[in-house]
Amino acid sequence: MSSLSDSTTAAIVAAIGQVLHDTGRAADAVEPQMLLATDLGLDSLDLAQTVVLLERSLGVDPFRAPPAGSARPAIRTVADLVSIYSQGLSARPAQRLP
Amino acid sequence: MNTQMSPNTSPNPSPSHLADAPAEDRLAFAITEVARQFPDRTAIVAGAGGESSRTIDYAALAGAIAKLESSLDRVRPVGIIARANRTESLVVLAAACGRQHVPVAFLAEDSRDLIGELRDWVTVDDSLLLVANPAAQRREFEAVATHVVVATSGTSGPPKLVEHSWDSLLAAARLAEQWHGLGWILVYDATRWAGIQVWLQSLLTGGRLVVPASRDPDTVLKAIVDEQATVLPATPTLLRRLLTSADRSLLAKARLDRITLGGETADGLLLEQARTAFPAVKITQVYATTELGEVFRVTDGLAGFPVNWLGRSLAGGARLGMRRDGELLVQLSRDSAEVATGDLIEKRGDRYEFTGRRSDVIVVGGAKVLPRRVEELLRGVPGIADARVYGMPSAITGELVAAEVVLTEPLPEGSTPESIRAGALAACRSGLEPHGVPRILDIVKKITTNPAGKVPRRQA
Repeated sequence: MSSLSDSTTAAIVAAIGQVLHDTGRAADAVEPQMLLATDLGLDSLDLAQTVVLLERSLGVDPFRAPPAGSARPAIRTVADLVSIYSQGLSARPAQRLP
Repeated sequence: MNTQMSPNTSPNPSPSHLADAPAEDRLAFAITEVARQFPDRTAIVAGAGGESSRTIDYAALAGAIAKLESSLDRVRPVGIIARANRTESLVVLAAACGRQHVPVAFLAEDSRDLIGELRDWVTVDDSLLLVANPAAQRREFEAVATHVVVATSGTSGPPKLVEHSWDSLLAAARLAEQWHGLGWILVYDATRWAGIQVWLQSLLTGGRLVVPASRDPDTVLKAIVDEQATVLPATPTLLRRLLTSADRSLLAKARLDRITLGGETADGLLLEQARTAFPAVKITQVYATTELGEVFRVTDGLAGFPVNWLGRSLAGGARLGMRRDGELLVQLSRDSAEVATGDLIEKRGDRYEFTGRRSDVIVVGGAKVLPRRVEELLRGVPGIADARVYGMPSAITGELVAAEVVLTEPLPEGSTPESIRAGALAACRSGLEPHGVPRILDIVKKITTNPAGKVPRRQA
């Protein structure tokens, strides 16, 4: 794993942990393969808050301007988030996720 | 340092004489009258509560007005743009232009780019020197109706210039005996409607205008104490800041007889806090806009206004109505059109209370949130002195509810900023719908306000 995605992963784990804490839920271990909705219980508001926190810590919001001509990629797992933020941080154009 | 401390009680200038003079002459007339009878009386204290203050007496003002009037008479400009930083300069410009029947514009710092609309008007700064521009138009003797131009604060739209007749500008001034010779604190911007009302009121009644060196709560309170000012016109946000952030011992020394609130609506909690700090105080809440001027005042010290005011002609002649969605409508007089104010009201018992501006509503995933409601809840949390709730854009939900809070000093026994923050979020969860709970809650030193001293509702 590149150090970019390590620190990105750390930021995302921290943001999700903050969201869980702020909403009065226990912040147990957050693993990359976990499903945001089913395993972590995050809804759209939780995700929206995560995005704001990550804009503050990472300085990007990849959701604000979806790449021209492509649909917004599905975000199901923590790893999906790491992926979309890693792409947003490096200067590469966003690619469809598998 | 000024020695004129006690309020003067003899009636000058006489209210009947003042009311007889045409509206545009009244300010100059009032100042000249006081200068004639009490030349040494202090008119303005600038920089009060700060490192060094300066006092300007009525005689000095009268002299400056006379000098400017002869310049205006000689140059005959089409209009004057008052580009001055000192309050005394603005007063002199207003008085002289009024009596010389020259239109005058007061442009605040952030409206200076609206100047383009006032072609051929001559700008005058603190030097009060009128430089004739040979190329500019000279005003014909049968002048355009004399008026005053004021910039709106841009809260209900982009800032724009509004014309007011002198009658309209002076309509709310209280000239009765009981208002004479008082000490007025000016914390509003002196070039905007609210500020202009304060200095007009003070100078028309031989009062002492106290301008604090800054809006820092301790400085404002020190100005009140040092100059024994007894009337505080302010916004609820500023009053809350004075009550919660200022040095306790200074607050205990300040004695206010009257607080006039405007610009935003006050909630019951703030009114209670004000009465606790100043037991003898009379609180008046003024509902006014730059376009409409003053619409009504509530003097019973309770939030909102009585239910039976809706649909009736009020004291000033205005009539209030309400749209089905709760928006307050105002008809200033029988001949004027009904204006939608953009303010939402809600019936609570025998009062209509203000729940916020329609444009303040935050839309989260399609569901509406009223920021004021969230703010009132947050202010009730131990450890929180004040709160501002605003909308933050989100690509996922449209908007999110965000909040910034100021903590009390000192913090409640045994609490930390983190514990207060967690407590606030928990209180929101139990008191609000899920979409109304702030998703961002920052602890700040001071609530963000815009140049008019009001609280912005979209991300700062």
